[in-house]
Amino acid sequence: MPAPANRFDALVIGGGHNGLVAAAYLARGGKKVCVLERRPVLGGASVTEEIYPGFKFSVFSYVVSLLRPEIIRDLDLPSHGLQILPLESTVTPMDNGDYLAGWADWDETRRELVRHSPRDAEAMVEFGRLMQHMAMAVKPILGMVPPDPASMAPSDLMGLLKLGGHFRSLGAERFHALYKLMTMSSADYLDEWYEFDTLKATKSASGIIGTFLGPRSPGSAYVLLHHYMGEIDGAFRAWGFQKGGTGAISEAIANAARAHGCEIRTDASVERVLVNGETATGVVLTNGDELRAPIVISGLDPRLTFTRLLDPRQLPTDLVDGVSRYKFRGSSGKVNLALSGLPEFAALKHDKDLMARAARGAFSISPSMEYLERAYDDAKYGQFSRNPYMDIVIPSMIDPGMAPPGKHVMSVFVQYAPHNITGGWDDAKRDAFGNAVIKTIARYAPNIESLILHKQVITPADIERITGLTEGNIFQGELALHQLFFLRPVPAWAKYRTPLRGYWQCGAGTHPGGGIMGASGRLAALEILGQ
Amino acid sequence: MIYDAVVIGAGPNGLVAAATLAGRGKRVVVLEAADAIGGHTRAIEFTPGFRAPLSDDAGWIPPSVMREVPMTAAGPFMVNTSAYVAAQDGSLIRLPVRSEGPDFTRHSARDAAKWPEFTARFSRFAAILGRMYQLPPADIDTTSLGDILPLAALGLQVRMLGRADMTEFLRVMPMSVQDFADDTFESELVKAAVAAAAVRDLRQGPRSGGTMYNLVHYMAGAAGLRSRQWALNGPDAVSLAAAAVGKGRGVEIQTGVRVARITVRNDAVTGVALENGDEISARLVISTADPKRTLLGLVEPQWLDPEIGLAVSNIKLRGCTACVMYATDAAPADAFKAPVSLTSSTVALEKAADAAKYGEMSAEPHVECWSPSLRWPSLAPAGKHILVARMQYAPYALKSGPWSTTDVTSLEKKVAAAISRVIPRFAESVRHAHVLTPKDIETRFGVTEGALTQGEMMLDQIMFMRPIPGWGRYAMPIRGLFLGGAGAHPGPGILGGAGILAARAALK
Repeated sequence: MPAPANRFDALVIGGGHNGLVAAAYLARGGKKVCVLERRPVLGGASVTEEIYPGFKFSVFSYVVSLLRPEIIRDLDLPSHGLQILPLESTVTPMDNGDYLAGWADWDETRRELVRHSPRDAEAMVEFGRLMQHMAMAVKPILGMVPPDPASMAPSDLMGLLKLGGHFRSLGAERFHALYKLMTMSSADYLDEWYEFDTLKATKSASGIIGTFLGPRSPGSAYVLLHHYMGEIDGAFRAWGFQKGGTGAISEAIANAARAHGCEIRTDASVERVLVNGETATGVVLTNGDELRAPIVISGLDPRLTFTRLLDPRQLPTDLVDGVSRYKFRGSSGKVNLALSGLPEFAALKHDKDLMARAARGAFSISPSMEYLERAYDDAKYGQFSRNPYMDIVIPSMIDPGMAPPGKHVMSVFVQYAPHNITGGWDDAKRDAFGNAVIKTIARYAPNIESLILHKQVITPADIERITGLTEGNIFQGELALHQLFFLRPVPAWAKYRTPLRGYWQCGAGTHPGGGIMGASGRLAALEILGQ
Repeated sequence: MIYDAVVIGAGPNGLVAAATLAGRGKRVVVLEAADAIGGHTRAIEFTPGFRAPLSDDAGWIPPSVMREVPMTAAGPFMVNTSAYVAAQDGSLIRLPVRSEGPDFTRHSARDAAKWPEFTARFSRFAAILGRMYQLPPADIDTTSLGDILPLAALGLQVRMLGRADMTEFLRVMPMSVQDFADDTFESELVKAAVAAAAVRDLRQGPRSGGTMYNLVHYMAGAAGLRSRQWALNGPDAVSLAAAAVGKGRGVEIQTGVRVARITVRNDAVTGVALENGDEISARLVISTADPKRTLLGLVEPQWLDPEIGLAVSNIKLRGCTACVMYATDAAPADAFKAPVSLTSSTVALEKAADAAKYGEMSAEPHVECWSPSLRWPSLAPAGKHILVARMQYAPYALKSGPWSTTDVTSLEKKVAAAISRVIPRFAESVRHAHVLTPKDIETRFGVTEGALTQGEMMLDQIMFMRPIPGWGRYAMPIRGLFLGGAGAHPGPGILGGAGILAARAALK
C-alpha cells in the first residue's frame, strides 16, 4: 500500500492547461487532487521559459483568445495572475512593397481596407457580424458533452433533441451559414465575401493553423471558425498576450487549483496507469513510486492515453483501431528569436509611428492565397514549405519584462513543417528549416539577420520530444469533421470516459479541443463530478 | 399551342419530369436544344460512322422513378462488370464486384481479403443515399409531417444499421478518400483505384475532405465500385424509353429548339420565348438546365432577388473534366467494357489536381477510358472501335487564357500517352481523335463551365444546400419555375431523380 501521502481522490496525468483546469474544478468540487507533470515546468504547450539569459519565451503556444470565460470566472483566474494584454493589430506585408493592416479599432481597419478594396471594406462589416453570430451559434456546443447518435440511452436522446432544437432555433439562414463553415474550404468561403487577395490570404491563414490542410482544402473553414470563437472580456475574435507569457496562464490555473487544496508535482513522470480488472486504481511513476486514487484522469493525447499509459490489450479492439487511425499530423513549427533591437519591416519603413504601432501586434506572412496553397503543396509531398506562412509577434513590445531593456523576443509560428518529413527530422533539416524561415522574414524585414542574438528552432519532432504531443500536433489531433464532437477522439468514447472504470480523458483530444481553451478539462471535470 | 408545362432539356431528368406531369393529366412540351434527345447520355457522331456517349457512367434509375415512368423499353440491364485499374507496369487489375475473388492478391493479399467487406459495407452506405435520393431533401425549417415522416423512417433505418455501421457512415462521409484509403488498404494501386472513383468530376484531389461522399454518391444503385448497369439497348436507351413513355401519355418533344428566355409576369412564369422568336405559354416551367444557366441566363435579372442571384453565382461548377473520343482500328481488350482507371498512385492523382488549383492543365493527367463499342457494336463501323477517355484535370478557365489549339493538342497528346501505357501501339490504331474540352462541352451540351455535375458534389452543395441554401425543394423564387436537373438534389448520375421530385413539387 502506498503511503497516505500518495493516496488521493483523483490523479491528473499531465500538467498542461486542460489537466490543470480539470484539477482545479475537481479540487473546487471538494476532491483531494494531485497533478503529475513529467517536466520540471508546468503548462504542457503553454509554458514560459528563459531559453537565453534575460529573454523569456512563450516557447510553443504564444497567444490566447479561446480560454473559456466561464473558466476564468469559476476559477477567479484574474486574482491568480491571469492578465491578458490585447494584441492590437495584424499587418501583412505585400509583395509589391505595400501592406495590409487590420487594427483593433474597427473604423481604422475599414479605412485601411478602403485603400485596397472599397467593396471588401463594405463586406467586412457584414462578415464580422455573421462570424460573431456563428461563434455564438457554436458556443452552446462547446459547452456541451457530445451526445452519442448511435445510443438509445435517454440522456443521449435528450442531448440529440437539445442539439436539434438548438439548430432549429438558429433559423434556416444561420444554420446554412454554419453548415457551410463546417464543410467548405476557407478559400471558397472567403471568396464568397471578398475580392482582395492579400486580405483573403490573411484571413484564411486562421483556417490552416495547426492542421495539415491548405486554404483550398474543404474543412479549413471550420478551423477558421474555431479561431473566431475566442472571447476576451466578452468581445469575440480578440487575441492577446498573457503578461509573462503563456506559462503564466498555466501558473494562474495552477494557483487557482492550489488555492482549492490541489497538490501539484513536477518532475513526476507517469510510467503507466494501474488497473485492477476493469478499474483504474492509480498510477506508477517512472521512479517506481505508486499513487492511488479511484479517479485517474489523463490530459495527454488519445494515443498516449490509450496505448502508452495502458496496455492496449486491456482495451476493446474497436477503440484501439479508432485511436490508431486518429489523425495527428503535426504541421507547424516555431522559431523563437532573441533580438538586439526591433526589426524594421520594409513596407512600414516610411512611417516610424506606424512601425512602432504595428510592432505591438502581429505580422502575418500571407501575401497571397497562392502563396499559402503552395506552402501546403510542399508539405503534402513531405517537405517543409520553402516559403512558409508565418504569424510573427514581438511580445516584449507589449510586455517589456520578457526581454532586457532595448532588446526583444520574437515569436514566429511557422507552417508548414510536416511531422512526417521525408526521411525524418534531423539537425541538418532543422537548420535548413530555420534558415528558410529567417530568409523569408528577411524578404520583408531586411535587417532581421543582423539583430539575431539567439535562435531556437522547433520542429514538430521537437514539439513531440519536449511536450509529448504525438506527432507534434498542437491540437492533440486534427480539428477535422471526422474527429469532432461525438467522434473526438473516437466514436462511443467521446464523453471523457474510457472503457476502464475510473479512468478519464480531459485533453484537447476530446471535444471541443484545441488552443488554450480549457473547455475539455472543464467538461471532463464536470462529468466526473456528475454535474 | 397552349401547354400546362414546358420542360427545358430532354435528358433523363427532363423526360422523366415530363412523363410524370403527363401521367397526372398535364399537357407537356419538352424543348431540347440539340437535334436529338438524351442529354449527355446521347451518343454523338464525332467522326463519320463513329458515335460515342460522353458519359462512362450508366447512372442509376431509382425504383421510385421506374414505378412512375416504367422504362421497360430500355431493355434488360446488363450484368455487372468489374472495373479495372492499370498498374505501374501497364497490366490491368480487376476490381471485382463484391465477393468474387479479387485478382490483386499479388499486389496485396491483405487488401484482397478486405475488398469484399469494403464493397459490401459501402454498398450498404450507398443504399442509404439511394433511399435519401428518392425523397425531397429536408431542411432545418421543415415542419410538414408529410416530409418529416419518410425521413424519420429513413433515420430509423440508419440506426437499424447498428452502432458500427452508423457511426462509421457519419464518420466517413466528410473524410478525404486519401485518409480513408490509408486507414483501410496497404496497396498503393488499390488506394489509387478507390481514390480515382472518389474525385470523379471534382476539381479537388484525393486529399480533400468530402471526397468520400462523392465516392459513395457514385455507388448509389451499384453493387460495388463503378458497377452501375447499362441498359442493353444502348447508352441512351433509358432516355429513349422515358421519351416513349412520355409520348404515350401525350408529351410533345421538340428537338433543335433553343430557349432564349423564361418569360415572367408579376413574379410568375408565363412560358418561354425561343431563339427563333416564337413564344410558348405555360404556367409551369421545369428547367433541367443547370442552375446558373436557368436563373442567371434564362431569367431576366429583375425577377431575381439580388441575394439569390449572388448565391447562384457562388455555385461551384468548376468543370475540369475533358473528354477525348477515339476512332480506332483495333479492338481493345475486354476489360475496356467498363472504365479503366489509368492512374496507379494517389500522389499522381493529387499532383494532377494541384495544377487545377492554379488554373493549369495537369502535366500528367488522370485518365479513365472505356470502349462503348465493345458493348454496342453498332456505335462503330464493322470491325472498328471507339475508345472514350475522360481526363482530369482540365480547368474550364485556364489561367493562360481561352483554350487554344495548342492547349487542345497538348491535352490529346497527354491522354494518348497515358493510354499507350496500357494499350501498346495505341497511337497506330487511332484513325481520328476528337477532343471535348470543358469549354466544348459547355457549347455542345449547354452546361455552364462544361460541368456535367451541374454543381460539384461537395458536402456544401448537396441535399438542402443544392442548388443553393434554402432552395432545395425544386420550386424557385419565381412562381411556376422549378429546377429539375442534376443541379438539384439528388444530383448527377441519378437518372430522373431530380426530374421526378421536381415534377411532384410542381404538381402540389
